[in-house]
Amino acid sequence: MTQQEITPREALIRLGASTGEAIAKVLEMFVPGTVERGEVTVLADGVSPFANVARGSIATSVSYVDGVTGANVFVMTPAGARALAAAMGAAAEEVAEGADPSPLSELELSALSEAANQTMAAAAAAIGVVLGQGIEISTPDTRVLGDPAGAADIYGTAPHATSTTFMIAGESCRLIQLVPRAFVVRMVRAIDEESAERTDSTVGTGSAARAARSAVDSSPHSLALEEALGGISLRVWAELGRTRMPLGSALGLPVGAVVDLDRTADAPVDLYVNGMRFARGQLLVTDDGEWAVSLDGLDSQGLSMLDLARSAQAQPRELVEPAPEVVEPAAESSDIESEDRIEDRDPTSTAEPETPEVTQSEVEGAVK
Amino acid sequence: MARVLVVDDAAFMRKVVSDALASGGHEVVGEAGNGVEAVKQFQALAPELTTLDITMPEKDGLEALAEIIALDPRARVLMCSALGQESKVIESIQKGAKDFVVKPFQPAQLLEAVGKALAA
Repeated sequence: MTQQEITPREALIRLGASTGEAIAKVLEMFVPGTVERGEVTVLADGVSPFANVARGSIATSVSYVDGVTGANVFVMTPAGARALAAAMGAAAEEVAEGADPSPLSELELSALSEAANQTMAAAAAAIGVVLGQGIEISTPDTRVLGDPAGAADIYGTAPHATSTTFMIAGESCRLIQLVPRAFVVRMVRAIDEESAERTDSTVGTGSAARAARSAVDSSPHSLALEEALGGISLRVWAELGRTRMPLGSALGLPVGAVVDLDRTADAPVDLYVNGMRFARGQLLVTDDGEWAVSLDGLDSQGLSMLDLARSAQAQPRELVEPAPEVVEPAAESSDIESEDRIEDRDPTSTAEPETPEVTQSEVEGAVK
Repeated sequence: MARVLVVDDAAFMRKVVSDALASGGHEVVGEAGNGVEAVKQFQALAPELTTLDITMPEKDGLEALAEIIALDPRARVLMCSALGQESKVIESIQKGAKDFVVKPFQPAQLLEAVGKALAA
């Protein structure tokens, strides 16, 4: 595929498919064996996305609030909503035989909101992988659609809309996505860039390729671990040593001045990951004349990070941080190395090295 | 067994977490539905552990965590995240959370994470 081959319609279908697949995976955890994702339909201009929604349907919506804009409305039949809430543990109130079912209770509606929160968080992560950035979601809103014709007043309108069908416990449901034009443009650009990155290999390595592979991955947890964590760039540096001096002395340092640090030349250096001291090791020069660090041992915080990673492999609820790449100084390449010039915009780089000092020396990107 | 403050904007999740904690012998001393209320309850109740949702109205879990840790750097906070919020989990650990659990979870998974957070 070459650049510019993808159309806005294809991008919308891709958006619907990625979102729908992520949602289906989470729903499958609530109601195992009863979730099926159907087709993605791009709605024609002028067609109300809520035109065929039955009065009294249950709608739970989540919006993107950072990174991109757009709304996602999951519409369920009352029976489907009740089945999902019951599967999550919010049982319906009992009614007398033959009597009309009671309206959904506050607890049932809350369970549906929580389902929307969890499914859309996973979906936002999947879309974020395609777009190459994090996407924040709003808190969910769940309500009974007494008059679907007035849904535009609640959820607004957008130039594009998709509808993705689901079956949950035998009940038909649908995800309606209201998509701003700018979102589509970014999707098209992101997918085109991904296509351009591909070589003659049949399996891509970029973000969109990872997202596409996730659509057929049977493990819902791998979505979070591989996609969400795998894309996080970490700031890595080695610290040679430190010293302290008055600001006036620092400002008066002439060119050629020699500043003594607190370590001997053969002492190990500290390796930091996102402001956290991770390991200590020996500074080396590779055959290519580049700095590298041969690790002697992991710091207690580094061990904690690895414990998290190992626990995640044993129990999917845990978190894998891509720390092991850091402890492979002889690797040919790594994401960390490739990211070392853009780390200032890493959203996870909130921590600073402990007690920054005037002449702290850093060798950024030295780890290969 | 610990005195626990449960924070989540969904009443359903507060019930799920509270029921799981009770089954493990813990005492739920308070609940909060947003970050603002969470900080107030933390100050008032001084719980041994706080379970904290991430996406909440008014003040999200990360902001509430920062305030709780500022009030008590030794506070034990267990983050409850959804799939896809792993970058926020990393941030929360960096800010002082003791452990985390990813929703949806089984009661045993929550209780295991609670045990780890209390032991930390």
